[in-house]
Amino acid sequence: MGVFRRAWLTVASEFSWRMPGRPQRLLAAFSLAERGSMMDMLAAVEATTRRDMRRKYFVHALDEGRHAKIFADRVRDFGQAGRADAALEDSGQLLQAGIVGGQTLFERFGEEKFLAFVYVAEADAVEQFNVYLERGLPDDATQATLRTILKDEVFHVAYSRAEVEKLRKEGRAVDKMCRDLRLARVWERYLRFSRDVGSFMSGIWLTILYFVVLAPFRLLARTEPGGWQPAATPGVDRLAAARAEG
Amino acid sequence: MSEPSAPSAMETWLLRFGTAGALVAMLGRGKRWWMVPLVLVLLLVAIGLLFLQSIHYVAPFIYMVF
Amino acid sequence: MPTYVLGVSALYHDAAVALLCDGVVVAAVQEERFSRLKHDASLPVRSAKWCLDRAGITAAQVDWLVFYEKPLRKFERILTNAVATFPRSYGAFPRQMRAWLGDKLWLRGNLCAAFGVRPERVLFSEHHLSHAASAFYCSPHDEAAILCLDGVGEWATTSLWRGRGSEIEPVAEVRWPHSLGLYYSAITAHLGFAVNEGEFKVMGMAAYGVPRFRAEMDPLLHLEPGGGFSIDMDKFSWHWHASEAGGAKLQAILGPSRFPGTPFTPTAAPHDGSPSEIEECQRYADIAATAQDQIEDAVLHLARHAKAAVGGDAICLAGGVALNSVANHRLAAEGPFADVWVQPAAGDAGGALGAALWVWHSVLGNPRGPALRRADIGRDTPIARSREILEDLGGRPEDVGDSAPERAAEDLAAGRVIGWMNGRCEWGPRALGHRSILADPRQAATRDLVNQRIKYREPFRPFAPSVLAEAADQYFDIPAAASAPVRFMLSTAPVRDAARGQLGAVTHVDGSARVQVVDADSSPDYHRLISRFGELTGVPVVLNTSFNLKGEPVVSTPVDAMASFTRSGLDVLYVDGLRVERPR
Repeated sequence: MGVFRRAWLTVASEFSWRMPGRPQRLLAAFSLAERGSMMDMLAAVEATTRRDMRRKYFVHALDEGRHAKIFADRVRDFGQAGRADAALEDSGQLLQAGIVGGQTLFERFGEEKFLAFVYVAEADAVEQFNVYLERGLPDDATQATLRTILKDEVFHVAYSRAEVEKLRKEGRAVDKMCRDLRLARVWERYLRFSRDVGSFMSGIWLTILYFVVLAPFRLLARTEPGGWQPAATPGVDRLAAARAEG
Repeated sequence: MSEPSAPSAMETWLLRFGTAGALVAMLGRGKRWWMVPLVLVLLLVAIGLLFLQSIHYVAPFIYMVF
Repeated sequence: MPTYVLGVSALYHDAAVALLCDGVVVAAVQEERFSRLKHDASLPVRSAKWCLDRAGITAAQVDWLVFYEKPLRKFERILTNAVATFPRSYGAFPRQMRAWLGDKLWLRGNLCAAFGVRPERVLFSEHHLSHAASAFYCSPHDEAAILCLDGVGEWATTSLWRGRGSEIEPVAEVRWPHSLGLYYSAITAHLGFAVNEGEFKVMGMAAYGVPRFRAEMDPLLHLEPGGGFSIDMDKFSWHWHASEAGGAKLQAILGPSRFPGTPFTPTAAPHDGSPSEIEECQRYADIAATAQDQIEDAVLHLARHAKAAVGGDAICLAGGVALNSVANHRLAAEGPFADVWVQPAAGDAGGALGAALWVWHSVLGNPRGPALRRADIGRDTPIARSREILEDLGGRPEDVGDSAPERAAEDLAAGRVIGWMNGRCEWGPRALGHRSILADPRQAATRDLVNQRIKYREPFRPFAPSVLAEAADQYFDIPAAASAPVRFMLSTAPVRDAARGQLGAVTHVDGSARVQVVDADSSPDYHRLISRFGELTGVPVVLNTSFNLKGEPVVSTPVDAMASFTRSGLDVLYVDGLRVERPR
């Protein structure tokens, strides 16, 4: 598994970084991911019943918040202040990327699987950044940024690994958990991709439908005039009117 | 919020049919009756969309065919 | 057996839930405060769960769940509009249909599934009716005219109602696409701000300009002799474009739009821009001032017609445009009504409360209850949990107990900026002393400090003051008709000339302030805090801004508070009776 992932990262990173305009988009995506991670960690602080873990999750969350700012600052260096601000502030982007929405990670997984997820996700991130650093991508300033962030990420891997080891000693099937989580992450990326394909294609079909089906009705529709219009008075049966969806 | 009073899948589809019927009835009653055929077409599209959403992981394969 | 009504607003802006028990508000909360996503519009499941837990009931015990608008009528408007603007709307149509056919149309089933309520218990109000109900039923008036102004509901964008006892009767409406809210949003977008976020910034920017574009912009928003208004839709595109509100035609009249994020350096603000930059910024300020002037004139125009058609002494306002506190002040000062009442959550979130109240009073026929005097009807945290959280997160909290307001005042007088989390969360966008960042209002330098170290806002935006009710008249010239909205920080007022020197951080460039008047009955702890500050400094006024960092919703729990405290330049944090100081 690790060999394939490394090969994929090596190949993908060439495209990711070398294409013009891509570095700032990728950095903005990293900023967004760090921000989503911060929100998940804070949600874990709220939800966990383990008092010893609260501060660890909290410090982790603050790190992710700081990383989001660091990545956004790199995007600003490319002259894209708007993109940087959006990565840090826009909720819509987080929702669209599927980073947040619905349940938080902690709610979905519960404490043990959440810890395993943190370990898997941080370890993957470290690996990813190491590949970029080894290949000298994309430029020196970004390399310095990645090195700064890597220091924290290494620590995140360490503490989450320690917690996962504790679970292993207690007899939990942590290797299976981690394997399942890695597969789940790959599956979820595929799901996001297929959702995007579905959206794109349905967009095309709906546009065709628009031109074919709506055209004949054009003359029947009017835009309402301005000024006061009379308002409809409600009927007698209030409850029946309230039940109606329209 | 998963309690016994939440509707089953069958009930959800029945509710959707109810909504579709209410939509057509509302338009048929009012001054915009001409929209009924348009809405019927869109409701057919909706069935397709809802179905695809539930199995959207096959979307890339379906769309390769179309 | 008490009757529980759960009002829900969602899917467009600011999802929220309001729970009534026998017509009394148990809790009203906005989903964004739970999910930590600003303006979260998804079905407010977390909010509902919290409210039900607070009342000690399950979903099965909810008698009625009411959604704040009619989804099918909204869909009818969207579809009719798509046909009417054929073929220009080809860009918007696919996205809208995907959203509606894939999700929003099936709301009834979704509500049942998400909230665990039986279908026969699900009701649907109407958008503007929900706004009207939220304004009227929360007001102290037995009879009033009700004016709702927003972007758009199902069809109506502006509506006039007559409120009498438990009944609300519709009088007239202005329909899509003619909309004051969307007009202001189009100007907001032209001035380089995000829509539904930036409208407040346009209001702030307007104070730096003069309305010298009336000749060019009056044809865009025409006030009809019969009392309504119409928009020259030829110059706007919100009715057919997928994302833009005003396109090339608007730029032909107003000049090029402002690129988002460019510094705003008009002549009145401290600057070091070039002469052409300053001139350009002044033009933007003047456009903002003109649009603001037009909205104010429109509100007055509509109010005069309301007086003629409905009569009475009182007017109740709701809808997003009712959050325009400068317009509210002008209505109070120059309008024909003796009393103006504005719902604190005047935007879509307030629709949840309005819908619930409408079911209780209008559908079920129950008599009116007491007015809404306090906005703190949201989420709180038991002190034991707060203490545990602050200790676990390394805050080393000091237990100051009941003396928290006085200690906080001493911190403020010593020049510290504090995060003040007290009791239940406010309902609506304004922080009113329950989730506030507080500072000394006297020096202009404090404003810059709060902006740069904590809020990171554009420098031209003003901060707001909170003043003791007993001292309000000494510092501010508040018209009698605005005495209700100023309690919820929904009206500006001029700062008295003699007082301007003492309130440097909270007086805007045009000498006004969006003041909150604090009385001891509604906000006892906050009143004590400001009183003690007044004793120490001679000025019973504090700078009050919402307790959140940029891009985030207002803090709700001790975890949120600690996270915002740690990530910003705040000096001290108060969570109820616990004090946390930043380690030196």
